[in-house]
Amino acid sequence: MNAFEVRNLRVSYDDFEIISGIDLDIPAKTCFAIMGPSGCGKSTLLRTFNRLIEINENARVSGIIKLFGKNIFEIETSELRRRVGMVFQIPNPFPHLSVYENVAVGPKFNKMVKNKKELDKIVEWALKKAVLWDEVKDRLRERASNLSGGQMQRLCIARALALKPEVLLMDEPTANLDPISASKIEELIHELKKEYTMVIVTHSPSQASRIADYVAFLYLGKIVEIGRVEDVFENPKHELTEKYLTGRIG
Amino acid sequence: MDKFKISLFPNISLIFGIFALMLIVFFLNSLPSIQKFGIELYTTNVWKAYEYEHEERYGLLAAIYGSVYTSVIALLISIPLSIGFAIFVVDFAPKKIKEPLIVITDVMAGLPTILYGIWGLFVLAPFLRDYIMIPLYKTFSYIPLFSYPPTGYCYFTAGVLLAIMVTPFATAIVRESYRMVPRIYKEGAFALGLTKYETTKILLKYIKPAIVAGTLLAFGRAIGETVAVSLVVGNTFNVHPSLFAPGYTISSLIANQFGNAFIYDLMPSTLFAAGLSLFLIGLSVNLLGLQYLKRWRYA
Repeated sequence: MNAFEVRNLRVSYDDFEIISGIDLDIPAKTCFAIMGPSGCGKSTLLRTFNRLIEINENARVSGIIKLFGKNIFEIETSELRRRVGMVFQIPNPFPHLSVYENVAVGPKFNKMVKNKKELDKIVEWALKKAVLWDEVKDRLRERASNLSGGQMQRLCIARALALKPEVLLMDEPTANLDPISASKIEELIHELKKEYTMVIVTHSPSQASRIADYVAFLYLGKIVEIGRVEDVFENPKHELTEKYLTGRIG
Repeated sequence: MDKFKISLFPNISLIFGIFALMLIVFFLNSLPSIQKFGIELYTTNVWKAYEYEHEERYGLLAAIYGSVYTSVIALLISIPLSIGFAIFVVDFAPKKIKEPLIVITDVMAGLPTILYGIWGLFVLAPFLRDYIMIPLYKTFSYIPLFSYPPTGYCYFTAGVLLAIMVTPFATAIVRESYRMVPRIYKEGAFALGLTKYETTKILLKYIKPAIVAGTLLAFGRAIGETVAVSLVVGNTFNVHPSLFAPGYTISSLIANQFGNAFIYDLMPSTLFAAGLSLFLIGLSVNLLGLQYLKRWRYA
């Protein structure tokens, strides 16, 4: 079963094409990494999966993306974004809301709960899932901005999980974190992919090899190579992929 | 010590010195009147100007009441208006009209207030009287708020006019800080499936300090505004709950009475005492605002 099926996807800003005709399948409940040098269109590609790209008025998207067989452009954006969660490169919990409110905001606005008790339950569940509960259970009323960078990023993961999504998109989730916090996030990704489809953008081949089952190498808006991690890393078919993996382009 | 730091001292002491001097001047000049009438100067509504000192009596309640009443009306109208306008300009206005809208509000902020006054006197007051006050009075005159037969020159007109005058200031502050909200928070909210309206609600909470600052600035301007208000407020010593009743404000009282005040013994001092109350209202509202922001920041 594929979580995403992408056919002939093209994305442009004004008249500049960022993604030039991409086909790919992302199997459900695996970790799929999109890697490539900066400016290759990784983030743009990721943002088309939850149609977040559309908040930029200059963006034009064409092609087909199916989420579990259903065209995402026919799904209401708020429903789509509930089913396809997202974590960003810069940890962005709402700094003026408490730890609790940050996790609660999604379920509350999307009317997933009937009362405070249910909300409490979801918040606790999500924070546990993001391995943050033990660190913050006594600080739920504190501002999110008081947390450390790594904690903030796990809070963002909890915030996304609270919506009970099917897919979790992550845009370089460790790029702004220290190595210890980063490795915690990577461990978490390992756990999460058992239940969720994870799509992760990274500019680091080594991170892709550590966390992903499948990998796509994106270069100048096109997919150069795609496949199981072992195959791509041990046996790259394209010269370009080999150059990227060995650090000669990047 | 750092030479640059030393060079800043004259600036600081000058500004602080002027502030302190003003407070002292107002206080000393109001003393005779405060000594004569005591607390009743601020808690009663009388205005008996006689040439003989023992017959003079003043109580500033009507002016204080009118100042607060008109400013509160102004804020109640102006705050939602300026927030709505800021959101429209930042999020929804097409690029072509975005800049012109900002320029227009800036020009409005800079217009001499007498222009608003004349417009209020000849256009706004009759308009509000005919299309809002009279219909409301006819149907709801049993409600105290609408219970006074409207002439057009009243708290309500003054409040509306003030709202129009202070909105450009308040909206500029809200707009600039709304524009500065980091993109990542907006994207974060959208990524949670929130609608544009829900996202805006969360972002407004984020710029709450700016909204408070805008409100304070608007209040300060509203309560201090003189010329425009005195043209439409009715200039009547009156403490009335109705929006449509004529009244006085502190600043319009001072402006209207100072010309002939020196004929009387205690009137100049009373007008200084009125100024002092304006000073203290402004100061306490600002302190309240600062206290609120402090709580917000360290919550």
